[in-house]
Amino acid sequence: MTEAFVQIIIFGILIGALYGLAALGLSMVFGVTKILNIAHGELIMLGGYASFWLFRLVGLDPFISLPLTMLIMAVVGLVLYKLLFVRTVKLPEEEKIKNTMLIGFGLTLILQNIALILWTADDRGITTAYSGQVFTVLNIRFPIVRVAGFAVALICLLSLHLFLRKTYTGKAIRATVEDWEAAALMGINIQQVYMLSFVLGAALAGVAGALVSVTFSIDPSMGMHWTLKALIVMVLGGLGSIAGTFAGGILLGATESATAFLIGGNYREVIGLLLFLLVLIFRPQGLLGAKER
Amino acid sequence: MLKLENINAYYGDLQALWGISLDVNEGELVALVGPNGAGKTTTLKVIAGLLAPAAGLVEFRGQDLLKKSVHQIVSLGISQVPEGGRIFPGMTVLENLELGAFVPEARKAKDQTLQSVYKSYPILEERSDQLAGTLSGGERQMLAIGRALMSKPRLLVLDEPSFGLAPILVDQMFVMITEINKQGVTVLLVEQNVRAALEVAHRSYVIENGEIVGEGTGVDLLSFESIRSAYLG
Amino acid sequence: MARIQLLLVAVVVILLACLPLVIEKDSTLNLLVLILLFIIMASSWNILGGFTGQTSLGHAAFFGLGSLATRLLWIQGFPLLPSLLAGGGLAVVFALVIGIPAFKLKGVYFAIGTLALGQILFVTVGNLFPTISALPVEALRTYQLAPRYYLFLVLTILTVGFAYLLANSRVGLGMMAVREDEDAAEALGVNARRHKLLALVFSAFLAGMAGSAFAYYHVSYYYQFPFAPIWSFDTLTMVYIGGQGTIIGPIVGAIFFVLLREFLVLNVGEYHLIVFGVLFILVVLFLPGGFVEAWEKIRNLLVRRRSKRDRNASTTA
Ligand SMILES: Nc1ncnc2c1ncn2[C@@H]1O[C@H](COP(=O)(O)OP(=O)(O)OP(=O)(O)O)[C@@H](O)[C@H]1O
Ligand SMILES: [Mg+2]
Repeated sequence: MTEAFVQIIIFGILIGALYGLAALGLSMVFGVTKILNIAHGELIMLGGYASFWLFRLVGLDPFISLPLTMLIMAVVGLVLYKLLFVRTVKLPEEEKIKNTMLIGFGLTLILQNIALILWTADDRGITTAYSGQVFTVLNIRFPIVRVAGFAVALICLLSLHLFLRKTYTGKAIRATVEDWEAAALMGINIQQVYMLSFVLGAALAGVAGALVSVTFSIDPSMGMHWTLKALIVMVLGGLGSIAGTFAGGILLGATESATAFLIGGNYREVIGLLLFLLVLIFRPQGLLGAKER
Repeated sequence: MLKLENINAYYGDLQALWGISLDVNEGELVALVGPNGAGKTTTLKVIAGLLAPAAGLVEFRGQDLLKKSVHQIVSLGISQVPEGGRIFPGMTVLENLELGAFVPEARKAKDQTLQSVYKSYPILEERSDQLAGTLSGGERQMLAIGRALMSKPRLLVLDEPSFGLAPILVDQMFVMITEINKQGVTVLLVEQNVRAALEVAHRSYVIENGEIVGEGTGVDLLSFESIRSAYLG
Repeated sequence: MARIQLLLVAVVVILLACLPLVIEKDSTLNLLVLILLFIIMASSWNILGGFTGQTSLGHAAFFGLGSLATRLLWIQGFPLLPSLLAGGGLAVVFALVIGIPAFKLKGVYFAIGTLALGQILFVTVGNLFPTISALPVEALRTYQLAPRYYLFLVLTILTVGFAYLLANSRVGLGMMAVREDEDAAEALGVNARRHKLLALVFSAFLAGMAGSAFAYYHVSYYYQFPFAPIWSFDTLTMVYIGGQGTIIGPIVGAIFFVLLREFLVLNVGEYHLIVFGVLFILVVLFLPGGFVEAWEKIRNLLVRRRSKRDRNASTTA
């Protein structure tokens, strides 16, 4: 019993890292630009298909092709930003959040149905030579693909952290988050910072999508599911905190798995949403975030 | 060096500036003084490119600033210390200073400029790894000025740098500003502390209700009757 | 309301009431039912989202609860009218339960909070009632479309009429004050929380009744189906396209949406949702007031041009 439970929790943590990664892009974009991209899940879906087709048509291993997937999604992000979101940049914050949310909703319809037409409603997944392999430590099983996914998520997290801390561009992004007007007075091109953040967010969605396509499966309508996961994690972790987002993902993954084990698989979805609502109402700064300044 | 001509500016339907004209020449220390809500900050926003005027002309060293965006104006050599300093509280003192040198030219000389800023304000070096949000009021203002100097500006624009400081610090602040000017940086200083500002400035403008109502050397204006009664008691 | 407008409304209502007598094809009547259903949905959403400014993404929850209560009771043999009212009632109860905590959330947080709530109900109902709900054979044998149509028509008239009265009432003005600026409204003595709660209750009841009517109308569907997020999203889209915060906007939006969808499904098939996505984004970006605002702009332009011409005429004279 306990062993099974530990096993379940480990699975939950491994999945949770993926949730964290899914939320990372959404959270960064929202934190920097105040664009709430409800279509983030659709970007994950497109990333998944990019990885899938690179595997199927070119034979590229999904982990090897990650940089390419990121690049493709970065371009998609750039196009979406230039075409749509840039038009909301000048709006006051409240209105911007709301309008971008609505644009994202329209985008959801568009991207989902384009994918449906291009690639049909079939579930697809990437099955590699190592897909089924598992290693065992202390009687706990670790599927290789999920462990690799966990590692990739961790690498993304650390790279983003270092990027924001160590590079001039990263510092410019943080300055923009703290006070965009003061940042502009430093000579920082705010428009560029926004664009870059959005593109980076899309690239991160690409990574998440690739991992989903090797760990689970992808289909055109998966977006909403992943957007909700990302939103939940973003709120759990507290805005603007990278480490918090990751911890939030793991918390959600573990809670879902525990629920599935203790109550029933049907309710794993519900528990996350409930947790989300409670945190949103009672601790809007996030479970792990510090109180707002 | 800097020239504003007949600027009209609005916030929505509300007109805040009515035909503002002013000049700042190379090497000068010019003060812009006036009561609360007169339009001082608004004038500076127009200069920085944060607010587009409805009419008028803004020129800096022969370039039309109205065609430039905020970050381009900074790279032309205008650096602004906004009202209240607006340092980045969640970043370290050093990071704040580094961001001051964001524009390409300044970035090349970053280490050198940093040393000279540290030399002028040693406290910033002591606190370099501390979060800026933990500094005291005086230190914050110093950081804001140091950060602005990091861009090696030709023109330094200051919005009420003495606001909220303890009286001794206010005097120090004016000394600091004079020092900066003596080292060759042109200064446009907005102040509510009228007497002190008029004393250090070479030339001053008085603004009221969005209009320039007086101009002259500090001494001239100090004897200006309406100024005396209005601001000096 | 001007006398002409009143007359116009009366004519439209009488026409709509006569339609089942002349229309033979069930498919046409079904389309009309769908339009009426969405007018109720859009107008009820508009009370909360348009009048009071609380953008909800969980409107399907009320619709779903209404349908659930009615379907369960009515199929069990309860009389129709109490079953229908129970649907609206359950939606109101739910609104009251979630209202206080939900309104701790402001702006977009309210939107994603209601999205999550709707999703929780959707999944939970799917878990608790995983089956299809079909009308009993007896009911199927005697099934007639016309009474369903009249039920929707009556509900539509009540909903729109209620929205109209509300918009012109003190309470309605308070709601709009809350939408414009919550703090300023409070300063004027408008109890923001109470007005938002009231808007939520009205909105929930009407959407719940739409759900009740749906339960009476639809032959067989999964219990979960009326809770699906698409009901919220479609409703939202209609209100935006028509013009939120107005009476006519949601009506125009619903008619346009349903007819356009019908047209697109027939002509471009699977591409129709893409068209809707594009249309929706265009409205959000370029026409935030929807058709109503566009119409007003055009009218103003015409009026101005005409008055200019008049002025020119008078000066040359
Ligand atoms: N963002 C804004 N929106 C609307 N009106 C504004 C805004 N900022 C300033 N104003 C108005 O414009 C006028 C000029 O304001 P401004 O901030 O330029 O004054 P100021 O001289 O800097 O005053 P202070 O000494 O208080 O800083 C005031 O009437 C003010 O109320
Ligand atoms: Mg000011």
